[in-house]
Amino acid sequence: MLSYFSNPQRFDQLARALIPVFGVLAVLLLAVGVWLALLGSPPDYQQGETIRIMYVHVPAAYMAMALYAALAVASFVYFVWRHALADTAAEIIAPIGAVFTVLALFTGSLWGKPMWGTWWEWDARMTSVLVLLLVYLGYMALRAALEDTQQAARTGAVLAMAGIVNLVIVKFSVDWWSSLHQPASIIRLDGPTIHASQLWPLLVMILAYTCLAGWLVLYRLRSQAIRRRVRTLQRQGEQAARAREEAVS
Amino acid sequence: MSAFGAIFFREAGLAWAGGGGPAGPAAFFLGAITLAPLAIGPAADLLVAVGPGIMGFAALLSVLQSADRLFGDDHADGTAELYLLSGLSLPWLVLAKVMGQALATLWPLPVIGLLGAMMYGVPVLPACVGALALLAAIPALSLIAGFAGALAAGVRRSGLLIALIATPMMVPVLIFAAGAGRSALAGDERALANLLLTVAVSLGTTALAPFGIVAALRSRLG
Repeated sequence: MLSYFSNPQRFDQLARALIPVFGVLAVLLLAVGVWLALLGSPPDYQQGETIRIMYVHVPAAYMAMALYAALAVASFVYFVWRHALADTAAEIIAPIGAVFTVLALFTGSLWGKPMWGTWWEWDARMTSVLVLLLVYLGYMALRAALEDTQQAARTGAVLAMAGIVNLVIVKFSVDWWSSLHQPASIIRLDGPTIHASQLWPLLVMILAYTCLAGWLVLYRLRSQAIRRRVRTLQRQGEQAARAREEAVS
Repeated sequence: MSAFGAIFFREAGLAWAGGGGPAGPAAFFLGAITLAPLAIGPAADLLVAVGPGIMGFAALLSVLQSADRLFGDDHADGTAELYLLSGLSLPWLVLAKVMGQALATLWPLPVIGLLGAMMYGVPVLPACVGALALLAAIPALSLIAGFAGALAAGVRRSGLLIALIATPMMVPVLIFAAGAGRSALAGDERALANLLLTVAVSLGTTALAPFGIVAALRSRLG
């Protein structure tokens, strides 16, 4: 299926069909999710109304990680099969993922102030998300620094794949590091222990964020593909014009 | 002498003769640990507490300081292309190269780390553990710096880019190497665990990073 849709024209058709679907789904789910999160769910028995920050924070953190995974997969596909579409995907996923990472850090900070009494806590999870942001920034900076697009694509793919190995090790080492100096005092959100009245808004919001990211990625992917084609056509036009001038003179 | 031995000694000799050898990283390290107390304040108990951490942190920065030279020069003068054409096993080649330069330039780091920790008032045993951890961290630090350097070889202002790429990758090494000194200071039995984990990260990096460096070099040529 991957090779079927790697044809640019087929991909364009698929993207044109999927973009409105994801867009409408994202808007609808966000509307329902925001209503559920802000009005339709009870306040937490411990955290009170601040629990509502969770509904915007947890999905953002999840998207930050999921988009990095997508970036690494796209880089792998490009690295092995040299498919231009996979490289374009990697190129446009990076800024979107970085924005979700910033959103996760920012909302986490807002949530931390009332819960832990501090805007920033050097706890394992926050630190590894901060490292994730640095990885995104390094990837984008490397791509921006290389002028040759082929080199940028290949070098970026190598870095993105090394990054995923690194992030796994960082996750474990940071857990070890924070256990060195911190007692387990942090309020944790263990999946199954969350109450159903909070689980539903959270799931709707996660789905809404996923659709939003899918929409953004497909939209940007299609416009980037069109931009590349326009550039190629311009170059061909210029070459043809030059050939005609030479023929005349 | 095998080709890899020749590359190892050539790299070490070049770093020693042309680049001032260990002077660059050592001077940077010394400068950083001199400035830190000026920023933190002269309170003795505070300096003891931060000593092992500052040593690890400053050592990491001084490794980054010389990272752009490792593959940047080879990329600029075409040596990297010759390496790729040589038919030698490339992962071994880059490993010999990185280790050659590390041997020539980074050997003072554990020594300065030991002295610096004692100047911060850290007792001898934890200071020695910290210095050992720095020694164990050198292969990992220099290979990661080499990987970032190979990715950014020949880019204008590559030092900045290398720092941004290498920083997240050095997080585990820093945690374990500085952690060894810190737990030794606290009289914690986890000092040995941290030391062994530093060795483990270094060995793992030695096994993986050469392939990454080769992929990075190839991606920047051809």
